[in-house]
Amino acid sequence: MRYGKVAPWLFITPTILGLVFFRIGPIIAAFLASFTSWNVFSPPQWIGTSNYVELFNSGTFWMILRNTLVFSLMYVMGVMVCGLFLAILVNNRLRAITFFRGLYYLPVITSTVAIGVVWSWILSPRFGVLPNVLADLGVHNIPSFLGDSRYALLTLVMVYIWKMSGYHMILFLAGLQNIPEEYYEAAKIDGATRWQSLRHITLPLLSSTTFFIGIIALIQSLQSFDITMAMTEGGPNYASATLSFFTYINAFVHFRMGYASAMSFVLLIIVGVITFINFYARKYWVETVD
Amino acid sequence: MKIYRKIALYVLLLFVGSLTVFPFLWMVATSFKSMGEVFRLPPTFTSSALFTDRMWDNYRTVLDQHNFLRYVLNSVIVAGSAALGQLFTCSLGGFAFARMKFRGKNIVFGTLLATMMIPVEVTIIPEYLLMLKLGWYNTYLPLIVPSMLVGSFGTFLFRGFFENIPSSIEEAAFIDGANPWQMFYRVFFPNAKPVSASLIIIAFMNNWNDLLRPVIYLESNRLYTATMGLMQFKGAYGAQWHLLLAASVVSVIPLIVVYISLQKYFVSGMLTSGSKG
Repeated sequence: MRYGKVAPWLFITPTILGLVFFRIGPIIAAFLASFTSWNVFSPPQWIGTSNYVELFNSGTFWMILRNTLVFSLMYVMGVMVCGLFLAILVNNRLRAITFFRGLYYLPVITSTVAIGVVWSWILSPRFGVLPNVLADLGVHNIPSFLGDSRYALLTLVMVYIWKMSGYHMILFLAGLQNIPEEYYEAAKIDGATRWQSLRHITLPLLSSTTFFIGIIALIQSLQSFDITMAMTEGGPNYASATLSFFTYINAFVHFRMGYASAMSFVLLIIVGVITFINFYARKYWVETVD
Repeated sequence: MKIYRKIALYVLLLFVGSLTVFPFLWMVATSFKSMGEVFRLPPTFTSSALFTDRMWDNYRTVLDQHNFLRYVLNSVIVAGSAALGQLFTCSLGGFAFARMKFRGKNIVFGTLLATMMIPVEVTIIPEYLLMLKLGWYNTYLPLIVPSMLVGSFGTFLFRGFFENIPSSIEEAAFIDGANPWQMFYRVFFPNAKPVSASLIIIAFMNNWNDLLRPVIYLESNRLYTATMGLMQFKGAYGAQWHLLLAASVVSVIPLIVVYISLQKYFVSGMLTSGSKG
């Protein structure tokens, strides 16, 4: 207790203030608000579970929930596969390798709005560069990637995977660099192929990193507001809207704070359940060096 | 390494690199085109305006008529204060969690970590109502204060770093009669330069790129951040790609310059945080 009893609390005062006012307080408030009808301009009215009833009876909500799951699943798998591929690629000891690491990380630091603008332009029907290249390659009936309700969500995921793979590359790279070199040398002496080394050394020893990345990617995908806002604004007809975007629309466009809070709580429960399952499943599929 | 394998790897690296770089090049290329050239088929890479007086026309429009310089400056102010604030909060918190013993420490730290998982969409509605009550709507405070006070990631980063400093240094300073603040400010903090740099850069980047809070809280055009300005510009000039892409270039250049000059801190910061996970 050499620091005394008061000093520690003074040191964490800002953190405590932040936790109380911007994390725990709002969670409790959002939970209570989800049982009210509240449009900001007049005081909230307690309406019991009506918001949840309305939510579960709304066709749009189920469609958006489906969109959210599709988006998250594809995003998580996409960034994990691409991130691991990039990490293995830049884990080679080569000249100028740090240059490539930095290059692949560039889309991560660029704002999602700017990324959204340039990709909207690249994909834009008729004058965009990608439809033109595809037409030159002989592809017929090229869809409007962002304007067609069958492809809008898919296109958003692809662009977001393109943007974020570099982030997951760095996390995987950290994991790869923690694997002792001797394991590979021993495998090589035993005549293992590169593929066998990857399959039997890299992947098992990387499993705790993979677990961590899975959770991070999941949370990122559930908060994918920016990319939707920047590229499609949820359209056409909510075909590319996810739960986080739909919450925003209800709260800050329609000013239905209670209804939006109920929605955000559904989002929170999804995050909670998946995180819980993942932590529970962890002991079955994560292996450690020792 | 065999030469063939080396060549194959470089080919692969360059191929992936071109996928990464192409949208950026296309952004810059389009930003120099005129309206007519944007809609010419087939699309060309270069603009006829390059190296003529008309070369900077789009940029002139964006900077003079649409005040993008102001937006960029606003972003510097917002992201800069939030990053410095986070450095203060996270280094203090990280120090307390790493070196001090106090009752309830594990509960507070556990809460900090657990709430990291919570999507911003859940907390943003009550936060918005709080900001309205405080009269902070249409100011920078809602963009700075929440991000400054809850830096779970940064606190985690500093805690990890401070835990690994040998306690012999601490002992010596205690014998010299250092108080807790001096211990932090004179002994520990000066050692944490790489962590501080990483945190500042990551926090700066996150706040620079944030879209949700500017969209919700900023009403006056003169307060817009670069991302918000670009978003609004997109809504107003949707089909004028030449101007829109010039505006995009203006809004991303400052961050890319910071990134290139401080690149080693970015990657090493991410590596440290990644391996701690």
